[in-house]
Amino acid sequence: MEQQRLVITPAPHLKSGESVGKAMRDTMIALVPVTLVAVYFFKAYAIFLIVVCMGTAALTEIAFRRFKHQPHRLRDGSALLTGLFVALCYSATTAWWKGALATFIAVGVAKELMGGLGWNRFNPALFGRVAMILLGPWFVDIGTEFMRWNVNFGPVDVMTHATPLAMLHQGLEMPAVGSLFLGFPGGAMGEVSPLALLIGGGYLLYRGHINWRIPGSILCTVFVLAAITGQNPFLHLVTGGLMLGAFFMATDWVTSPITEKGKVVFGVAIGVLIVVFRIGLAPTEGVAFSILIMNAFVPTIEKMTRRLPFSEPRKTAARHITLPESNI
Amino acid sequence: MKARTFQGGAHIPHYKEYTAHLPIQPMAIPDHVVIPLLQHLGEANESLVKPGDRVRVGDKIGDSDGFFCAPVHASISGVVEAVDMFPCYAGGERLAIKIRREGEEQSFAITDQINPSEQTPEELRRMIREAGLVGMGGAAFPTHINISPRSPVDTLLINGAECEPFLTCDHRLMLERSDDLIAGAVIMMRCIGASRCCIGIETNKPDAIELLKEKTAGRNDFEIVPLEVKYPQGYKSHLIKAVTGRDVPRGARSADLGCVVRNVGTTIAGYEAVALGKPVIERVVTVSGPDIPQPGNFTMRIGTPVDFILQQCGVSKTDGYKIILGGPMTGVAQETLTSSIVKSTTGVLVLPAEMTYEEEAFTDCIRCGKCVEHCPMMLYPNQLSVYAEAEMMDELLEWNAMDCMDCGICAYLCPGRRPIADMIRRVQPALKKKQQKKTG
Repeated sequence: MEQQRLVITPAPHLKSGESVGKAMRDTMIALVPVTLVAVYFFKAYAIFLIVVCMGTAALTEIAFRRFKHQPHRLRDGSALLTGLFVALCYSATTAWWKGALATFIAVGVAKELMGGLGWNRFNPALFGRVAMILLGPWFVDIGTEFMRWNVNFGPVDVMTHATPLAMLHQGLEMPAVGSLFLGFPGGAMGEVSPLALLIGGGYLLYRGHINWRIPGSILCTVFVLAAITGQNPFLHLVTGGLMLGAFFMATDWVTSPITEKGKVVFGVAIGVLIVVFRIGLAPTEGVAFSILIMNAFVPTIEKMTRRLPFSEPRKTAARHITLPESNI
Repeated sequence: MKARTFQGGAHIPHYKEYTAHLPIQPMAIPDHVVIPLLQHLGEANESLVKPGDRVRVGDKIGDSDGFFCAPVHASISGVVEAVDMFPCYAGGERLAIKIRREGEEQSFAITDQINPSEQTPEELRRMIREAGLVGMGGAAFPTHINISPRSPVDTLLINGAECEPFLTCDHRLMLERSDDLIAGAVIMMRCIGASRCCIGIETNKPDAIELLKEKTAGRNDFEIVPLEVKYPQGYKSHLIKAVTGRDVPRGARSADLGCVVRNVGTTIAGYEAVALGKPVIERVVTVSGPDIPQPGNFTMRIGTPVDFILQQCGVSKTDGYKIILGGPMTGVAQETLTSSIVKSTTGVLVLPAEMTYEEEAFTDCIRCGKCVEHCPMMLYPNQLSVYAEAEMMDELLEWNAMDCMDCGICAYLCPGRRPIADMIRRVQPALKKKQQKKTG
């Protein structure tokens, strides 16, 4: 037997085969149902905005990583996924340049400038979306200037609906909870069908990419608090970005706590904030603000909910055992 | 009966189907063996022979006055060719004795048959030390030290978990040598003064559980404990936790917890050492891998070179393959095929490149939490890997990097393909020094 090239890498020699790219692809698959519902309602408008956002995301990553003299990582799908998320945070008829700018902020500022995937403290898509809300006043003039570049794919008759939450605030007659759950063309594209989001969330749970603790604690908290404050708890579950936020945004790996207890604390706090925003303040984007606020507390939550290692079974256990002087 | 287990850990495909059904067979005796003088955890032996000396199989060829030490013996009869540095199973080179085979008399001659129950525990321990017994599951800690507890021990734990993928040598030993296993366990129990013996076996070996239950039926000092199939169920501390429910605090030896843990192969070797006076000159090794023409469980002499073993199993092509001594989670990839097996070698694995993800670039930690969820030591491998990359020693200590026992689950699961276990392994020596400076 001749001496040949042997592979020498450190243990462990087996790998599970998981990769960042596979996880991102799975998340995109999980978003397929809600995207299809959005396309069903908003036709070309939905497709156009999604393409614009995903395209901007890819270009932004290439540009920023070139600026940092790093090769782009489009293959892991993280940037494209952020683009899709931003698009889903907007209603389909939003001016395309708003979506593009939000995506640019999300991928460029909130992700790449923070050190790239893994180091961002805030959920990039929500950061981009909320940044655009806060920067809104700046764009009033630009908005009119850009008007002539807005696209028009013809009328879509479902477009006229207000968001259910706004209707709730204005005391309008609400659609039934059941029809809201199945699909209702109001608000952002990612809000149109809680059922589709549940299917996607279930898939992510099944694939083991997300843990039940975060969505579970958010939904339970919102339900209980809504019931206590005399609102229809079911209505709160199916309206707004709650499902999208609970299953897809709050569960973002990078920006949620890694500890089990921490996930519950994080979820409950988000739930409380959502109800506070919805009842006390403006009806829109309470979910986005709640998640972003709690993103900032993740390091603190993790520190406070750190578990004891296997070797420290109970704080007192070590005292009962006389340790040998030398440990070999 | 419900299978017992511990918290954390992961289910890893076990790939045991290649060899689990194959009975143990003797492997041909190679024309030379290379026997490292240090095969155990502790102090190195000194050579008792010099080049040109004739040795018979079973002769002691290396020993030391040190306490943490187990002697080594000639595994074949022949002539000492060299006492020199040879490629070592753990990487690098180590002082070893090379013996060239000569003469036809190659099997160990049983000199005296001893009834173990007539011997004092001190005498039993002396025999076990003289036979050069070490932990044969991979840890290679000298056995006579394990079975000389300073505090009273009530339980002997026999480790039949064999949780590493591919390996089946202990499984086969339990099936084919159950009587010797039980006899060996009785000897160990006498040495440590234990009143009961628990044999922990993962439930993916139902035949072994069944057989040993049958063999120990009517004995109330033996208990067969089915264990959940989960890596790393066979780690000493996790076996103790699973079987006895006792916590294993940092720094505690198993004897401090009233347990002594012995591996199946070691226990059988203990029986041979006492009853037959036979030193550790051979062991059962699993040779496996998806592309091996003749995989199997083989009794082979200590010091058998890897290239000889591969030849015997029909492996002709090793280009682009990874050759591992030990299990796939903790074993060592070999740089050269001239290294040889030692007392603690459980397997010789030939893995194709697509199984091992050779030299893939890894990403930053994306905090998916899989390593945290499954870490059997309840650590935060994600944090440790980041700190290890940046060599932040204080943080590493604060996050208990020294607890890591290198099971490799974190690196196995990581979607970013971060070699977390290896990163921690590399900083541990420096951390140990720093820790000693702090306390001492």
